[in-house]
Amino acid sequence: MTRFRAALAAAGLLLLSACGSGNDSDSGGGPATLKLSVIPIVDVAPIYLGQQQGFFAEQGLKLQIVTAQGGAAIVPAVVSGQVDFGFSNYTSLILARSKGLPLKVVGPGNASTGQAGKDFGGVLVKAGSPIRTPKDLAGKRVAVNTLNNINDTTVRASIRKAGGDPANVRFTELAFPDMLAALDKGNVDAVQVVEPFLTTGLKAGDRLVASNYVDTAPNLTIAGYFTSQKTASSKPELVKKFSAALQESLRYAAAHPDAARKVLAAYTKISPAVASALILPKWPASVDRASVDTLARLAQQDGLIKTVPDTGGLLP
Amino acid sequence: MSALGLLRRAALLLAVPALLVAAWWLLTAGSTDFFWPPLSQILGAFDDTWFHGRFTRDVLPSVGRLLAGYLLALVIGVGLGTAIGSVRTLRALLEPVLEFFRAIPPPVLVPILMLFAGIGTGMKILVIVSGCVWPVLLNTVEGVRALDEVLGDTARCYRMRPHSRYVHLVLRGASPQIAAGARQALSIGIILMVISEMFAAGDGVGFTIVQFQRGFAIPQMWTGIILLGLIGVVLSLLFQLVESWALRWYTGLRGSEREG
Repeated sequence: MTRFRAALAAAGLLLLSACGSGNDSDSGGGPATLKLSVIPIVDVAPIYLGQQQGFFAEQGLKLQIVTAQGGAAIVPAVVSGQVDFGFSNYTSLILARSKGLPLKVVGPGNASTGQAGKDFGGVLVKAGSPIRTPKDLAGKRVAVNTLNNINDTTVRASIRKAGGDPANVRFTELAFPDMLAALDKGNVDAVQVVEPFLTTGLKAGDRLVASNYVDTAPNLTIAGYFTSQKTASSKPELVKKFSAALQESLRYAAAHPDAARKVLAAYTKISPAVASALILPKWPASVDRASVDTLARLAQQDGLIKTVPDTGGLLP
Repeated sequence: MSALGLLRRAALLLAVPALLVAAWWLLTAGSTDFFWPPLSQILGAFDDTWFHGRFTRDVLPSVGRLLAGYLLALVIGVGLGTAIGSVRTLRALLEPVLEFFRAIPPPVLVPILMLFAGIGTGMKILVIVSGCVWPVLLNTVEGVRALDEVLGDTARCYRMRPHSRYVHLVLRGASPQIAAGARQALSIGIILMVISEMFAAGDGVGFTIVQFQRGFAIPQMWTGIILLGLIGVVLSLLFQLVESWALRWYTGLRGSEREG
């Protein structure tokens, strides 16, 4: 019986320690280790560039980049303290905030270029498709990388702007790398892609029918870097240093697009030919608050959330 | 069985689940951790989450695809397995290839399956078949190989027709092994049901759980995980019923052998 009790206690301890795993990146001397979780896509090029340029080291930070498959895995990692900062699109952050997750944005990530037809994301159809405008997408099958998130809400916004009815668009979830093949095979009628798939599709003869980010709001802010309220209040120094290094990195990437294209080879499988041709997102110095509010309103309109949360508490 | 014996059996059956639920309940009772909500909150969300439309919209399509894929895997596995098990040359020819294909995890095949099976229900059933077929096939091959030679010779002496030889000798003789493979395949099937719904899905239990997770509806996500477990329990109970009916000759035989 005592052995059984001991085993039970051990199991309980295991459970407890599994729940409360965290790290102490502030402890010890030398440079503070900073863990940042990102998805290895074009949008986060400034981070890799900033690391190369030594912007994080200048702040006394030892940047450790943890790559994640999707944004969904990043939020829990940040909230539980396994990583200090994460990268996510704003619709996900708004969803998390509306459920009461204590998140805080510490810096801008990337934004739409604001130029229709020359944005880093858009809706493609096959060359011979009868779909000519966003309005024609009504009733069609459209692939997005995640349902109930930024891409389907902005495609709906695009359709509404063109005077169409997005109610009966059939969105299907497909990973970006699978989309062009599905479009080619006729499994879907249109795909919402971002770079490098946009350029790849256009080169293969697909046709752009909508720049959904541009249609949603001028200078639409897409994603940002965030932390948990806990990290924000317990490690204010770390947050300050990170935002400073981030700002510097964003500024550098915006001023040196060729360097940004070059750094893609370091962490993605994008070929140099595509890397030199693709459309880079904008890396602004600040978050466009109005566009975050637009995303929150769209999320509520499309039923992702019941009430629009206070975006002021989320933003820096 | 006496009433007391029945009670004892029920207690044995339910003791560990009850203990686990109690431990879960107690450990999470005052939890403020967003990702570990109290069990009371999860159970409170259960009815609302699943029994107001989602049962027919998500659960039934999921289970339907699972059963379709599973039955198809059974037919293919048993059919091919008896052929390979019976013909030595075929076995020698195919065994290396089979070992190659069974080692490939079905999830990595999904993008390839999508290229020729599209992104609809067919693709999802195919994913389930591609994983479930192996334990059935390989166990059937072994079962057929291990058939009693004397019985085979006897069947030949009596000039049994191929059809009745197949049904009464080959299938029946291999059925304990086939059942063992089928049982393994069932749990693989549930896993693949969920995985197949993570690609290009629009409904299903696995799809819904992922949606909840991404939307940070954590109690609802937990209800989905519990529901998956319950589906597993129900299917395994059904399997046991079918198995004990189909193998009643075998359990009887084993019983009399043990006594004798």
